[in-house]
Amino acid sequence: MSTTEQRKVIDSRGSFCPGPITDLFKAYRSAQLGDVIELLATDPAAKADVTAWTQKSGNELVGIVDEQGYARITVRVTKKR
Amino acid sequence: MTDEMKRVVIVGSGDGGTFTANLLASKLRKEIKGGLVSVQLVGEHLLHPFQPGNLDIAFKGAVPDKYVRAETDLIRKGVEFIKDPAVKIDFSARSVATKSGRTLPYDYLVIATGAVADPSKIQGLAEGALNFHTGGADSRRVWEALQSFEGGTIVVAIAGTPHKCPPSPNEAAFMLDEFFQKRGTRGKVKIRFLTPYPRPYPAEKVSHVVEPMFQKKGIDVVTFFNVDSVDPAKHKIYSLEGEAFDYDLLIAVPPHHGADVIVNSGIGDQDGYVPTDKGTMRVVGQEGAYCIGDATTIPVSKSGVVAHLQSVVVAHNIIAEMNRAKGLLEYNGRINCPMEVGNHKGIFVSATYTSPPVDQSPSTVKYYMKRSFAMIYWRALGGGLERVFDVFFGQTRFPATEKEEPEKTAVAPVASQGGKREA
Repeated sequence: MSTTEQRKVIDSRGSFCPGPITDLFKAYRSAQLGDVIELLATDPAAKADVTAWTQKSGNELVGIVDEQGYARITVRVTKKR
Repeated sequence: MTDEMKRVVIVGSGDGGTFTANLLASKLRKEIKGGLVSVQLVGEHLLHPFQPGNLDIAFKGAVPDKYVRAETDLIRKGVEFIKDPAVKIDFSARSVATKSGRTLPYDYLVIATGAVADPSKIQGLAEGALNFHTGGADSRRVWEALQSFEGGTIVVAIAGTPHKCPPSPNEAAFMLDEFFQKRGTRGKVKIRFLTPYPRPYPAEKVSHVVEPMFQKKGIDVVTFFNVDSVDPAKHKIYSLEGEAFDYDLLIAVPPHHGADVIVNSGIGDQDGYVPTDKGTMRVVGQEGAYCIGDATTIPVSKSGVVAHLQSVVVAHNIIAEMNRAKGLLEYNGRINCPMEVGNHKGIFVSATYTSPPVDQSPSTVKYYMKRSFAMIYWRALGGGLERVFDVFFGQTRFPATEKEEPEKTAVAPVASQGGKREA
C-alpha cells in the first residue's frame, strides 16, 4: 500500500441514480491503491449500488454513515488494474 | 449595425444551436429586419447530421447521406450562419473569436458546442473497437463489419459516462440480436453487454424492461465493468476492476468530453462541460451567457430532445432579457429518450428533475413514433412543430417566478446545479 494515500470527498448530494455511482467511478478511475473515497449521497440507491460494486470488484467498503439527510459512504481502493 | 442593436451569438450549429437561432429569428423577425437585433450562428460544418440515424446506419445498413442536410437549408431568414469554428469564448470581453481571426462581440451568448466522443481517451480503444458515436462514416464501418461476421463473440461496451443518447448501447445490443436473427445465424453469435452501471440500464424502472428482454434474447450482461483498456492484438477488453473478456468484434461507446473551444477557453469543468444553471440555463456566474444540450454540466441525458426543450427556454429568456417578453422561464429537466428494443417495439425513457422514469411495456406505437422522428427532425429544427411538441411533452418549462425582473437577476448568482439526475 502506498504511503501517500489520498482521501477524496465526492459530493453527489442532490444527484439521483446513476449520478452518485458515476461520480464514484470517476474518482476511482484517477485513484491509486490505498486511496480513500468518501461519497456523499442523498439518493437512497447509492448505498446498495456502492455496496454491490465493492462486493463484486473486491474494493473495500469502509463504512456507511447516515448523516443528517444524506449518507457518507466510504470506500478504500484495494483493487484496481 | 446600430448602437441599440442587441447581438446574439450562438456557438455550435448542431440541434440546439440551430433550433435556438431559428426560434430567435422567428420570434424577433421584426426586430432583426429593423436592425435592432442580430442573430449569428457560428458553426464548424456545412453539413448537419441527424445523429440518432447512426444506429440505423450501423445496424440496419442505412446510407449516411440519408441523415444529412445542408446547414444553410435549415436556418431561417434572419440568421447569419458563419462557417468558421469558434476557438475562444471570452466572457469578460463578451466576445467569441473564430479560427479565421474574426472577433464576434455579443450581448447574449448561447453555448451549444455539444460533446465529443473520443476513443483516444482509452488505451487501445481507437484501434480495437468500432463505434457509432463518431459520425456516419464510422457507423457505416460497423455495418460493414457485420456483413462479414460469420460467428463468435460481439462485445458491446460503454467505455465512458456520460455519453450521448443513453439508450443507444442497449439499442445496439437489441439491434444486433435482430440482425443475426434475420440472417439466421444468431445461434453462432454471442452478444455480451459490458456496462459500468449496476444494471443493464441505469434507471431502475427502465432496467425492469430491458433486463428480462436481454435474458430472453440471450444477451449476456456484465455490470460494474469500467473499461480500463483494450488490447487489439489479443482481442481483449479489460476493466479497472480487473475483469477481462475476449471479443471477436468490439463495438464500444467512447468516452465523451466537452468541445475544444470550451477547454481552450478555460470555461469548463475538468471534462470540458460548462457549469450551467439547471433551470434558467444560464452559465453559472456569467451575465448574458446561456448553455444548452450536451455542452452543459447538468446530468440529464445528453440528447437532442433535451437540447431542443432547453432551446425554447433559452430563446425566451434572451428575449425577456431584451425586455421584449415577460419573465424568465426554467427548464424542468424533461427528458424523452426513445429506445428501440427489437422486433418493431420501443419504449420511451421519460422523466423530469422530480419525476423518475416509470414502469412501462414495449409497444409498436412507440417504435413507430421513434422512427417517425427521423422524418420530422428537419422540420422541427425550423420551429414548425412546437405546438405538437407542447401537446406531446406537456409542461417542460415553468415561470421563474422569483426572477421576474431579468435586468436585476442577469448578474445575480444563479441557482445551484443540484437536483441532478441522469437517465
